[in-house]
Amino acid sequence: MPSSDALPLILGLDVGGTQTDAVLVSCDGVVASAVKVPTRADLPATLRKAVDQTLSGTGPDRISRMAFSTTMATNAIVQDRLDPAGMIVSAGPGMDPQGFAVGPSYHVVEGCLDHRGYEARPLSKEAVLAAAAGIRDQGIQALGLVSKFSVRNPAHELCMAEWVKEIFPHPALGHQVSGHLNFPRRIATTYLNAALRETHERFVRALLGILEERDLRAPRYLLKPDGGTVGLEESLGFPARTAQSGPAASIMGALALDPCPGTTLVLDVGGTTTDIGLIYRGAPLLEPYGIHLGPYKTLIRSLQTRSVGIGGDSEVRAEPGRPLRIGPLRQGPPAALGGPAPPPTDAMIVLGHLDAGDKETARRALEPVAAALDLDVLKAASAVLDRMAELIADSVGAFLHYINARPVYTVREVLEGVTIEPGHLVLLGGPAVQLAAPLESAFGLPCSVPPHAEVANAIGAAVSRVTCEITLHADTVRGTVVVPEAGIDQFIDGEFDLDQGMIMARQSLEKAVSGAGGAEDDLEITVTEQQSFNMIQGFSRTGRNIRLNLCVTPGLIPGWPRRS
Amino acid sequence: MPPSPKRTGLVFFPAFDWAISPTHPEREERLLYTRDQVLEEGLLDLDNIVEYRVRPATFEDIQRVHFCVPDEASVTTESHLISAGGCLVAADAVMNREVDNAFALVRPPGHHAMRVVHGNRGFCNINIEAVMVEHIRRTYGVKKVAIVDTDCHHGDGTQEIYWHDPDTLFISLHQDGRTIFPGTGFPNEMGGPNAVGATANIPLPPQTGEEGFAVVLEELVMPLLERFQPELVINSAGQDNHYSDPITDMNFSARGYAALNARLQPDICVLEGGYAVESALPYVNVGIIMAMAGLDFRNVREPNYDREYRPQSPDVTQNVDRLVSRLRQVFLKGKYEAPSHSPGEVLERKREVFYDTDGIFERQRELIRVCRDCAGALGVESAASTGNHVFAVRIPPNACPACRRTAESWFEQAAEGTFTQVFLQDRDRDTFERA
Ligand SMILES: [Zn+2]
Ligand SMILES: [Zn+2]
Repeated sequence: MPSSDALPLILGLDVGGTQTDAVLVSCDGVVASAVKVPTRADLPATLRKAVDQTLSGTGPDRISRMAFSTTMATNAIVQDRLDPAGMIVSAGPGMDPQGFAVGPSYHVVEGCLDHRGYEARPLSKEAVLAAAAGIRDQGIQALGLVSKFSVRNPAHELCMAEWVKEIFPHPALGHQVSGHLNFPRRIATTYLNAALRETHERFVRALLGILEERDLRAPRYLLKPDGGTVGLEESLGFPARTAQSGPAASIMGALALDPCPGTTLVLDVGGTTTDIGLIYRGAPLLEPYGIHLGPYKTLIRSLQTRSVGIGGDSEVRAEPGRPLRIGPLRQGPPAALGGPAPPPTDAMIVLGHLDAGDKETARRALEPVAAALDLDVLKAASAVLDRMAELIADSVGAFLHYINARPVYTVREVLEGVTIEPGHLVLLGGPAVQLAAPLESAFGLPCSVPPHAEVANAIGAAVSRVTCEITLHADTVRGTVVVPEAGIDQFIDGEFDLDQGMIMARQSLEKAVSGAGGAEDDLEITVTEQQSFNMIQGFSRTGRNIRLNLCVTPGLIPGWPRRS
Repeated sequence: MPPSPKRTGLVFFPAFDWAISPTHPEREERLLYTRDQVLEEGLLDLDNIVEYRVRPATFEDIQRVHFCVPDEASVTTESHLISAGGCLVAADAVMNREVDNAFALVRPPGHHAMRVVHGNRGFCNINIEAVMVEHIRRTYGVKKVAIVDTDCHHGDGTQEIYWHDPDTLFISLHQDGRTIFPGTGFPNEMGGPNAVGATANIPLPPQTGEEGFAVVLEELVMPLLERFQPELVINSAGQDNHYSDPITDMNFSARGYAALNARLQPDICVLEGGYAVESALPYVNVGIIMAMAGLDFRNVREPNYDREYRPQSPDVTQNVDRLVSRLRQVFLKGKYEAPSHSPGEVLERKREVFYDTDGIFERQRELIRVCRDCAGALGVESAASTGNHVFAVRIPPNACPACRRTAESWFEQAAEGTFTQVFLQDRDRDTFERA
């Protein structure tokens, strides 16, 4: 394919568990280079190597944009390498706040806001100061401050921050992580942001160093689990938002490389896992609450994805009279490449679908499986791939059932009863081509494997736009409007209505996008909640309760050609 | 004793886009703050709480209970069907043992809706508990069901529907009918001739508090349940006994409701009334969910509880104690005069029903065949100010041949009469006919 030499290029990079993919794509959609390097424990070293290999002589001034999907935050969380962070929370009545304790120094102080944001009990300054001193005395340098219903009224969190600023000048504040309600998740998310801050900052400095050494000065971004990006420097305040972006990279890659008509199911088959995602009417499906990171349930927006422990290198167990079992463990590399036992990859090699390693070794390794199934080796190899497709289809079925059983809260939604039923399948990842036929028959759906499917994840990272979300809550009886993500908490009069709310919400979102390193022309706003309730006292209207949720939905950067 | 966690199903349907009228208490915002509180507490993230999606009930579900005049479509909206359907989802989750218990947090409510429906009464069109109970009986073969109505208003609709049913124990705790809508629910209302004692009304003095409810539960409700041995216990969980409720005069609290549910251990809870949408419902609902899920609810209370809740006054305590000892004699020791009727006799009763919301006036003449073998043939002649004049006949489940014959002959006679419509609800064969 002729790539115009003059066109600027985008660098996209996705760090995976075993290998790191990097691409250079031109903004008219042509892939100029693609490399895979093994992922090493030293993340900056891996990044350095991948960047150098993919650039291989391309001048830095041709690079117009760089985006990275990394495992830094995820690894720190799942490997329990978080920095110590103290937490001070105020709760009031309800679930016992001790049940939400996180980190090495968790303190509950007196103070209570109600669901409208009214103060039901003042904060105890004495208790806050004592807790802060205790945290400092443990040698802890990071702090998170959270109060229940702080997204209705951030006053208590701001007040705590003011009191402790001599000791902790930059605490993580709960209302800033998300405008959604969920106190335990707010605590966990705030804690993660506090406990990742230093590690993340070190990582950002290291990455900046690598880029600057190579004179790469174009705008640079990190991918988030919602399929959107955030500016590298702008990510410093909310490091947890960059965790677990891998599945999002694949789904955005599908969107970049395939027309994705109607409802499209995306499968990214890797070494030991398969990531499942959905694209509905041109946009990826979002998870309604927030992502789970290790043991933490968070308020971090993410795509609705699921991982199943089945991949090309998964262990295959055959017993006479029982269906084949595949995964979730991995014994090692394929037998054809010197591994101890034959995973599905060996079946592909035996069937001649894949040219790798020693075919005869793969054949011998599959013999016990064939014996257990009472088939010849070729048929047994097909049976392994069919079974793999069947197991993936089962997991997808459960995933769709879960999505379609999701509660709805209005008469309109019950009657509309939209169900998500894919009509098309996009396959990505290393063994995609080899699995297309078995998956097509397991799902009974047409299946496409777009060009560059094996590096779709890196392409997805490269071309995803900046996303943001804001939540507006106005209560004309209390006389306040709050947009927690944008730091807005101001007085309003009784005339404030949905139209004014919408103007304020749009402005807040624009501000949030530019604060996240996005540009004005990136804006494609979706209104996900828009409600104005009459507040009534004794049969007469006393005011309005307005709720708005606006976001920039995940999508591709302007100019990237949609496949048709 | 630490409570043990249970799997609790939650069917939440706030109908954020439906109201009786823009400023009516039964409006869009009613469960908004409850939703806020439940979300903020993180209850939906608990492993033992499972949220279910509602589905609308069908007209067949409604016809197992009601005679809708002129038809189902005219007296229900989608919202009523979804509210009733939410109860069916809760029931299925429990009956299929997906969960240990379930709470249908749905609106609009239903416990003032009677068997014949001409319109909306006390914010209710369709009796959502009764629709659920009859679905359970039909689908899962359950016979004996107890409904404990803890709404502040007498559950007159539910009482009327089960008045003749010896297999449904209906217990209603409510503010004394002499002081509040609908003005019924006195202890002498104990059920029809075939079901004497299956209805138990406990009218409480105004300002009854946590203590009073606890005593009534322990001394009356629990022993009645113990004696009846139901296969299933349902709580019609109205929340208007709350000290902050604007249209009632009671003194109950979120913690009180939670404790009541922890003791009652209902299989299914259904939200009924309760219009202190900001100051009571968020906390009462959180309390009930936590109690059902077996969580420690000692920290649940209204933020203003310490300032505004006043313990029950000594004279209320005295009145409640007197009431309890009197009703123990009646309900548990059988000290009442049961009218004696001979089997085969057909008794007639006349009543008038006012539909406060829709301003409809209805006159009823009810016929019941006294029977020892089944719940008895039932006939209801109903004339409403709308001009509709109908005759409705019901054949009970497991009807005896004599009652079936009686009911069928009533239906045939009426069909030849001048009624605008004649209905036959055959619960034994699960069919419904109009003529
Ligand atoms: Zn009521
Ligand atoms: Zn009979």
